[in-house]
Amino acid sequence: MNLDDIFDLVSYRIHPEPHIVVDHDTCASCSHRACTFACPARCYEWNEVRGRVDFAYESCLECGTCLLVCDLGALDWNYPAGGYGVRFRAT
Amino acid sequence: MAATEFDAVVVGAGPAGSIAALTLSQKGVKTLLLERGERPGAKNMFGGTLAWCPAPEELIPGFWEKAPWEREVVRRVLTVVAETSATSMVFRSDDVDRPFRGRVTLFRPAFDAWLAAQAQAAGVTVVCGCTVEGLVVCGGRVCGVRVGGSDGVVEAPLVVAGDGALSFLAQEAGLHAGVHAEQMAVGVRALYALEEDEIDGRFGLVRGQGATNEYLGGTEGVRGGGFVYTQTESLSVGLVLHLDSLKTRGFAPYDLLERFVGSVHVAPLLRGAQLVEYSAHLLPEAGLSMVPRLSTSGFLVAGDAGGLCYTNGLTQEGMNLAMTSGHLAGLVGAEALEVGDVSAARLAAYDRRLRESFVLRDLKTYDRAIKLLRRDRLFSDYPEVVGAIMEQLYASDGAPKRRVGSIARGALRDRIPIRETLADLIRIGRSYL
Repeated sequence: MNLDDIFDLVSYRIHPEPHIVVDHDTCASCSHRACTFACPARCYEWNEVRGRVDFAYESCLECGTCLLVCDLGALDWNYPAGGYGVRFRAT
Repeated sequence: MAATEFDAVVVGAGPAGSIAALTLSQKGVKTLLLERGERPGAKNMFGGTLAWCPAPEELIPGFWEKAPWEREVVRRVLTVVAETSATSMVFRSDDVDRPFRGRVTLFRPAFDAWLAAQAQAAGVTVVCGCTVEGLVVCGGRVCGVRVGGSDGVVEAPLVVAGDGALSFLAQEAGLHAGVHAEQMAVGVRALYALEEDEIDGRFGLVRGQGATNEYLGGTEGVRGGGFVYTQTESLSVGLVLHLDSLKTRGFAPYDLLERFVGSVHVAPLLRGAQLVEYSAHLLPEAGLSMVPRLSTSGFLVAGDAGGLCYTNGLTQEGMNLAMTSGHLAGLVGAEALEVGDVSAARLAAYDRRLRESFVLRDLKTYDRAIKLLRRDRLFSDYPEVVGAIMEQLYASDGAPKRRVGSIARGALRDRIPIRETLADLIRIGRSYL
């Protein structure tokens, strides 16, 4: 299994608006940045230059891991609008 | 959507929601089933097992013959994985004469679509691509849902929430204060395509038979386990990891999955198989302690949304609990609507019915086992102890052989204080015996 390949296998219908919004001000006081490793879709990445967590909602698998590992309540977490987001194969 | 009046709105076309909707409709309730995916099953990644339960057969005669499940599980392997060894228990059932009371593997996107179609055929209005954003409350009771867009509202005297593990609607209804990392596990799965004959051969099966391989340990000390499930022409390979443990240990689920897939236990099973999909989902794992009250005025909660899912370390149950709870929600809901009383007191009959059924009784029976699985040592030290015992049992090094008890004491001594071993043995005994 090539790790980079697995993320390319997922199919999405991407909504123009993100369904999860990160409050970077709240985020700033986080000590563990668990979202950057616990998210199974690698949506969160620490950006050393900007000194904050970058978030890419497009590859979200909608599992909810980030919401539960974030203990600062920095996420405004919603499911994508109907029909959008990840779509797993039917066969 | 305002043109049609519904008596009941069911949120989520998973096994809990579709069964609830089907039950309601069969009882003459005008029912709307809302699904946020573009089709039922589009948001479901699970390739796992469904254990037999009576509810679906009662609703759909011939269910077990007709439903699109994949393989009937006849072989189950539980493997304790240590650093340099693995010890397995293999169970195989060849009692083909018994009435089917076992479990089947299935592929949820296909199964969910089929089940929702059964609900639709029974008169349920199924609307996909519709995300429920919240509840509508009138005079202190739930009386509808808010749907996609700012002002979309569907009103109905009864709402059944089958909205999955995050359980936002039950939270909004005040039944719980939000789910926590300590209560949940994340499942990550890689789906591999492989020819039917190859699967049969590798797992020792004949046509239509299925196998489940489950693994304890081998997750870098993160509490959780691995699985390989056989579908007809595919294998579901994955890990289930306790969220709080994952967070504390600082591992990425896909890194652990990559190691698991490449391990000596799994890699040979996947030779030549083609990786076709990767997915992730949350699972409630805290047992009874996380099951809230599942009813209030105008509102019922079923399936994962009610925390009705568990593993006791030896087996996993979820879909059967979801379907049975959906069935009971439909029955209690239909009775309440018929007499025109959807008050909290009336709908509390649902909680009572669940407590009488195997759903909450099983969660109670294995409550200690579910709690036991929150002990880190079970996933780190003990697999090593088991491995060390087996290594020495089979070793031949010219030294005189020792009894198993003496080997075990030696293996334990280096890792775990004797007092804690005894406490754990008592815990294990009370969990299962």
